[in-house]
Amino acid sequence: MDPMIQVEHLVKRYKKSASPAVDDIAFEVGAGELFAFLGPNGAGKTTTISILTTTLAKTTGAVRIDGHDLDREATAVRSRIGIIFQNPSVDLHLSGEENIRLHVALYGLYTYRPFYRTMPVDYRTRIEELADVVGLGDEIFKPLKTFSGGMKRKLEIIRSLMHRPGVLFLDEPTSGLDPVSRHSLWQYLRRVRAADGTTIFLTTHYLEEAEEADRVCVIDHGRIATIGTPDELKAELLERSIVLDAADRAALLAELARLGLAATVDEVGLIRVTYSGPTAQPLISRLSTPLTVLRVHDPSLEDAYVELLRSTRETAA
Amino acid sequence: MTARAVPSRRADRPGIRSRLAREANATFAIAWREVLRAVKSPSSLAFTVIFPVIFMGVLGGSISQNLGGALPYAYLPFMLIGMVANTLYQGTIVGVTNLVEERENDFTAELFVAPISRYAVLLGKIVGSGIASLISLVGIVAMILFMQIPLNFGDLLRVIALAPILALAGGSLGVFFIGFVQDPKTAGAGVALLVFPQMFLAGALIPVAASTGILGLLAKLMPMTYSIDLARNIFYAGKPEAAFTVLNSPWIDLGVTIGFFLVFTIVGTYMFVRADRNR
Repeated sequence: MDPMIQVEHLVKRYKKSASPAVDDIAFEVGAGELFAFLGPNGAGKTTTISILTTTLAKTTGAVRIDGHDLDREATAVRSRIGIIFQNPSVDLHLSGEENIRLHVALYGLYTYRPFYRTMPVDYRTRIEELADVVGLGDEIFKPLKTFSGGMKRKLEIIRSLMHRPGVLFLDEPTSGLDPVSRHSLWQYLRRVRAADGTTIFLTTHYLEEAEEADRVCVIDHGRIATIGTPDELKAELLERSIVLDAADRAALLAELARLGLAATVDEVGLIRVTYSGPTAQPLISRLSTPLTVLRVHDPSLEDAYVELLRSTRETAA
Repeated sequence: MTARAVPSRRADRPGIRSRLAREANATFAIAWREVLRAVKSPSSLAFTVIFPVIFMGVLGGSISQNLGGALPYAYLPFMLIGMVANTLYQGTIVGVTNLVEERENDFTAELFVAPISRYAVLLGKIVGSGIASLISLVGIVAMILFMQIPLNFGDLLRVIALAPILALAGGSLGVFFIGFVQDPKTAGAGVALLVFPQMFLAGALIPVAASTGILGLLAKLMPMTYSIDLARNIFYAGKPEAAFTVLNSPWIDLGVTIGFFLVFTIVGTYMFVRADRNR
């Protein structure tokens, strides 16, 4: 099966810029995949997303979305994607519902009618349901000028899903949202993926959101620093370890030595043992010395990300 | 959040099948948005109505009292038709050039990622801005009554029926302008330069039939000259004043207006989209 997003040798050099913002990157995203595209500010994330969504011309390279070439079939590409932009792209003069009505007309979903009451019942039912879902309720009929940042985000989310896109581009979708709104947004997106198999291309600075991605791609200075599953990245960059202690510490250290496990003792006397593999269970099951402390240290994606950027910059320096 | 509202592509998806119908539907939606924006913005609404009142009442009234007697025709109806055409033409220019500001505040991203042609987006802006500029007729009609301008309303209605042509002509000049000007501050100053010199050089308020030298040349170069003259051709058709008030034959006016429209729209759209994508 063809990948949903296919990027080959993509380069973007802005006018009057000495170095390219995106420098010969390549990756593929499978259908239904949650793909997290991470990187520090200015790394090239938004530039890449702008190219993939046809709002910015690339310098060189090839991009295909759902089998359609970005250059030759831009309209077909646009009809298959949904986008939540980094900066809200809404008309503040209109109400929330009027913004959505404009969107569905632009995507040819419904014949545009000047008044909400004259829109088809199907549309009105959907609007009311979705407004309920994201907690906007009747506020959706009020001018956007009265909306908070979080409410505008929710509106954009409803809007981006109205035409049921095959690929949803989320450019820092939860920035400005409170934790509860962020949580409910991700619950909703999970259900959309489950119901529809929607491919999600995500950029975010909240790395806990990327933990559940199928694959993570880190870009730095316009180049791909690494790509893989979150577990692969953590395994590649960080050591997993368990922290142990026992009433008979000497016996525990002796047992670890007998098993051939390298242990280090920290300043308060706790013993740290590194392990490989997805879980510490096999290691723990081999120990017979009664333990008084057992903590599994599973590094987060954020730990791996920080380590990756640190080592990349050290290498560059 | 509840599961019932999760959309599914497997469900029957509504939609307009014909490409042409989709483009027309999007154009209408964009046009209606312009009308809504105009109606919902009290300050711009007030300006739209007051603008012709100031120019017709203050400037037109003053010219009429001091110089109108020297003309071989009634100045006030002459000025009125010029101002109707000018208001519709210029109102559409201002509405279309608003796209530069919308690009700055990211709204154009929503329009330009939609699966419709760029021409549909710009045509929608032109049509909507043209309709919104009709609001200014409220001020014009008020001035007709206040200044007691002798007028056959049938003639006025014929000129207003020209509104689509005037809006398309003005809108295309707006598109051409934003094709080359991307900075909102420059656009703001540029629109003023586009609007006010044309108002005087194209003969909206002041007759230009006798203009010679550089002023005569500029009058001929102004795209709005031909739109205003077309309106006067309609208004003065079959009347003896036509010999003094009209510059060209209506067919020349129409031909030049269509020519400007095509060149401005095609070049402007190409340049605007190119500038937007080729940063």
